Amino acid sequence: MKAECINAFYSATQDVFNLMLDLRVERGDIKVVEGLVSSRNANVVLGVTGDLKGSILFSFTQDMTLEMVRIMSGLEMKTIDSFVSSALGEVANIIGGNAVTNLTNHNYICDIVPPQVIIGEYQSLSMANKKALLIPLRTHIGEFDINIFLSESQ
Amino acid sequence: MMWKERYSIGVELIDNQHKELFKRLSHFIQIVQSETNWEDKMDDVKETLDFMKDYVIYHFNDEERYQEEINYPDLEVHREAHAKFREGINDYVRIFDQGEFNEEKIKEFAAKLMAWLIMHVGKMDQKIGEYVKEKGVRHNES
Repeated sequence: MKAECINAFYSATQDVFNLMLDLRVERGDIKVVEGLVSSRNANVVLGVTGDLKGSILFSFTQDMTLEMVRIMSGLEMKTIDSFVSSALGEVANIIGGNAVTNLTNHNYICDIVPPQVIIGEYQSLSMANKKALLIPLRTHIGEFDINIFLSESQ
Repeated sequence: MMWKERYSIGVELIDNQHKELFKRLSHFIQIVQSETNWEDKMDDVKETLDFMKDYVIYHFNDEERYQEEINYPDLEVHREAHAKFREGINDYVRIFDQGEFNEEKIKEFAAKLMAWLIMHVGKMDQKIGEYVKEKGVRHNES
């Protein structure tokens, strides 16, 4: 997977987190993982179609998810209900939209399929044993991951 | 408090409408997220929902008129963004009209509206403010 794909999603995440949540995002070391697997509570899967195809998985802890929605709404959130999960899905959707715009600068024309929010630990989102890249990210309200599984369309 | 001072674009008419939008949306979210029975808060939800969807349209019209007045170069791009925003609202209005007026769908809508509004005002509308500052645009605010 080319570096521009990773950077497109990383820089879109930085921009959207800064703009919507007033949060600075720092990146850890990228890892290669088998399939899209998350051990965190709140997961959002975005489908990508077009010149690149595959999936992007955003994984957050429950605490971080609730704090993100508190920052946006100004209200304390107690549980991940449909308000919280919808807000989380929309943040990921906006990141995906911005990433796709970034990719057009590298001549990849892609679209984002509406997000699917999956609540619960240890979700295994198998991609037929293919390898994905995991970007660990850090903010002062918690850590989260982005798994990128993309390949160029033939 | 949803409104943040950095959302101000320095145009009083627009800033005041944005503040009102954030205030109403915040109220809407508070009602939607309150622990009161759904049946008991349904009238309140309906009333705020009606206000919100009308006020968004009213505000977009005012904002576009203002952009015309100052010959804002990205007016068409901004119009398209407003059209997409309206379409997003109308999709939910249709869902509600077709009978899916339930707590889950209303929560989903409130969350999306929140994300769209923060993103639109926090990013796209800021460009109007930058243009106004850069060009030293004078405007009539009514």
